[in-house]
Amino acid sequence: MRITQGTFSFLPDLTDDQIRAQINYALNQGWAISLEYTDDPHPRNTYWEMWGLPMFDVRDAAGVMYELYACRKMHPNEYIRVNAFDATRGFETVRLSFLVNRPKEEPEFRLVRSEGPGRSIRYSLQTVFPGERGLS
Amino acid sequence: MIAALDNIERKDVDLEGLFSESHVGEVIEQLDRELVGLAPVKQRVREIAAFLLVSRARAQLGIESEMPSMHMCFTGNPGTGKTTVAARMADILQRLGCIRKNTLVTVTRDDLVGQYIGHTAPKTREVLKRAMGGVLFIDEAYYLYRPENERDYGQESIEILLQAMENNRNDLVVILAGYKDRMDTFFRANAGIRSRIAHHIEFPDFTQDELLQIAELMVAGMHYRFDDESRKTMRRYIEHRIQQPNFANARSIRNALDRARLRQANRLFARAMNGERTSSEALTLIDAEDLLPSRVFQNATT
Amino acid sequence: MNTAVAAKQAPTRKRYDAGVLKYREMGYWQPDYQPQDTDVIALFRITPQDGVEPEEAAAAVAGESSTATWTVVWTDRLTACDKYRAKAYRVDPVPNTGPGTRTEQQYFAYIAYELDLFEEGSIANLTASIIGNVFGFKPLKALRLEDMRIPVAYVKTFQGPATGIVVERERLDKFGRPLLGATTKPKLGLSGRNYGRVVYEALRGGLDFVKDDENINSQPFMHWRDRFLFCMEAVNKASAATGEVKGHYLNVTAATMEDMYERAEFAKELGSVIIMIDLVIGYTAIQSMAKWARRNDMILHLHRAGHGTYTRQKNHGIAFRVIAKWMRLAGVDHIHAGTVVGKLEGDPNVIAGIYDTLREPVTRASLMHGVFFDQDWAGLRKVMPVASGGIHAGQMHQLLHYLGEDVVLQFGGGTIGHPHGIAQGAQANRVALEAIVQARNEGVDIWNEGPQILERAARWCSPLRAALDTWRDVTFNYTSTDTVDFVPTPTEAV
Repeated sequence: MRITQGTFSFLPDLTDDQIRAQINYALNQGWAISLEYTDDPHPRNTYWEMWGLPMFDVRDAAGVMYELYACRKMHPNEYIRVNAFDATRGFETVRLSFLVNRPKEEPEFRLVRSEGPGRSIRYSLQTVFPGERGLS
Repeated sequence: MIAALDNIERKDVDLEGLFSESHVGEVIEQLDRELVGLAPVKQRVREIAAFLLVSRARAQLGIESEMPSMHMCFTGNPGTGKTTVAARMADILQRLGCIRKNTLVTVTRDDLVGQYIGHTAPKTREVLKRAMGGVLFIDEAYYLYRPENERDYGQESIEILLQAMENNRNDLVVILAGYKDRMDTFFRANAGIRSRIAHHIEFPDFTQDELLQIAELMVAGMHYRFDDESRKTMRRYIEHRIQQPNFANARSIRNALDRARLRQANRLFARAMNGERTSSEALTLIDAEDLLPSRVFQNATT
Repeated sequence: MNTAVAAKQAPTRKRYDAGVLKYREMGYWQPDYQPQDTDVIALFRITPQDGVEPEEAAAAVAGESSTATWTVVWTDRLTACDKYRAKAYRVDPVPNTGPGTRTEQQYFAYIAYELDLFEEGSIANLTASIIGNVFGFKPLKALRLEDMRIPVAYVKTFQGPATGIVVERERLDKFGRPLLGATTKPKLGLSGRNYGRVVYEALRGGLDFVKDDENINSQPFMHWRDRFLFCMEAVNKASAATGEVKGHYLNVTAATMEDMYERAEFAKELGSVIIMIDLVIGYTAIQSMAKWARRNDMILHLHRAGHGTYTRQKNHGIAFRVIAKWMRLAGVDHIHAGTVVGKLEGDPNVIAGIYDTLREPVTRASLMHGVFFDQDWAGLRKVMPVASGGIHAGQMHQLLHYLGEDVVLQFGGGTIGHPHGIAQGAQANRVALEAIVQARNEGVDIWNEGPQILERAARWCSPLRAALDTWRDVTFNYTSTDTVDFVPTPTEAV
């Protein structure tokens, strides 16, 4: 399946030039860029691994791309996302977040239903990695 | 290549238009105006600007597809204007589309090389990241290389720099700077770096007349002035100072003037304590008295 | 009160003699009054009856919305009545009204209220004072509450939005673009099972939210528990299919608070991230649900059902920006606030003022947007405006231009009415949105080049192609009735 997290996941995967343009937009807004990667894109997996600290002093997209290439080299088969953080009062949060790398074969989610009284159901999602498919 | 040349449309390019559009002339004029002497340096800067302009015109006609490598090496003694020219160079390179940001990140060995295993790569990468899009100026670059210590981490930094100079040519211009002889030694041991430097610029020492002119400019910049007497003293100071160790061209002049300002303040204050009034004239004058107590004169043989 | 002002009032002896006195003589008109930082200030648009002077009309509004009654009462003298009296301190004629225009003369009256007139953290009490009696008052032909300045001291007694825009986005893990929603259609008649199908298709196709309509409660064709169960099956299945957090606004509006709490608890038990209420449940019920939502990590969506009865006419009622202000204090997270381009009322300037009221840390006065006062929100969270009603993918660039990024765009018909199906309708909207946001960030002039951007995306996205072809010429170009008075080319008041 194609996971559709991030700001631009319904578009074809962004090219490096398109990624650079988005990063330049964020830098021009005064936001700090950071890179994060994970193999488990479960929607409640908030804390992906940080690829270094947020790049507060970088002024040009080339600086971020330099790190992105290094990150892709280390984690070619994982999800990588670019986050842009805005420290302005009233926001102090992520303002833009998009995927810049996907594994060749993406995991899926199994929906687990536990039935309760009165037809109620408790739902949970479990990540199923490519190697584990058909095991359940 | 020849076939390619045949395919080029026969048409003229407007070099002059490109030149005025880039406003690079203003930066060169400013350089001429603000920097005393350095005629060969200014000449080289003009050549580089012309070279970039022509490359751009060739790119417009499709003769060239890629901007040429622009890494440089500035050699010369301390205080000969290397950092100042580097800042102007960033401006020129940006105006001619060679880099995107008019920024200069200045570093030395300490900013690039770590003290433990695994410390150096992140430090160097951090610096490169900040400099990307602009100019990275590495002062006294030869300290990166310490052949006497086999386990020195400088080599690791050099390798990362080398990679960036090669792979990120469109994003980064690196300027190495330092004493001529020591840079030469450095390049002998690091042929890889040497081969990636496209432009070498030598910064000559200033002549005595130039140094006096620099002193005048600095004094005016600080809103002070010399009188005939103190100007003569300053000239004598320069004659002596350049004979002595650790002479650092313009930087030595600035230090001398900073100390003279301190002495001037002391002198005015002492007089005021004796009940003398201080005129605005007196406040702006660097007197011969403010220069004479310098050790330069005491150590002088004459 | 200074002596100059006191002199204009009737002398104490005469002031409290039994009988009827003009309001201005009772101290409700004080042109020299300097409003305090802690005063609540209200701005009314008044249309006096013939022969009633504007100052007297303003004083009457001040009096009737604070301490006065129609006659003099001696019991006033047992209180610090100078303090409790509301003060009308400024009256301006409304531009483009009066002789020579088609509208009779109207006035803007500024009235200041002492903070101690109000119970802390109670919209019911605030509104009982400000709009309690005075709108039926005979000496006025018409009266409209245009704007209010709530002092920080009073703002701080309210909880504010249970979740707020920032935390909502962090919970949903969705940044950098407007959120997308749709209202299930047809509004009425679907069984729970059929209803859930619509929800699943729309969410799987690319929407973030689907929504109950305001009048979906618990009717014979679909009781509420059925709806909740089928909708949550749809939400969770869509989440598994996409890896995204999805939601359905489960409308918990009901006859009693007990019923609403019961429904909200069930929504929580099923793992919903969001519930919904209607404005018609009343301010107290809204505040109760906001507190429940804060306690239970629930986003609270408010449908402004019924507001059109009193917000739309320019001469009488309450401007929606005031309702928006009250609702931010009351603590809702979403509120329908106009689309500009859709089928429902919405002048661009008025909408800009309302959006600023909901989303800014400090809302700045802007007469062009109908905002009369600076309003410091003192750290109260931001409300996500919802744009809904007659909008479609072909307007995406206009929507982003007018409404910005922090907004929920709801395409009901524009999703469910798609010729290829609901999921395809949702996909068309999501692709259109992401393409426009991407282009804007790249520095493209989306206002002028929007149609081309959408056309380009439609080349590789056939559902978008179909959406653009289907709704190409749909626009709703009617003149708005609620417009601002201070614009470069002023609109006529009606």
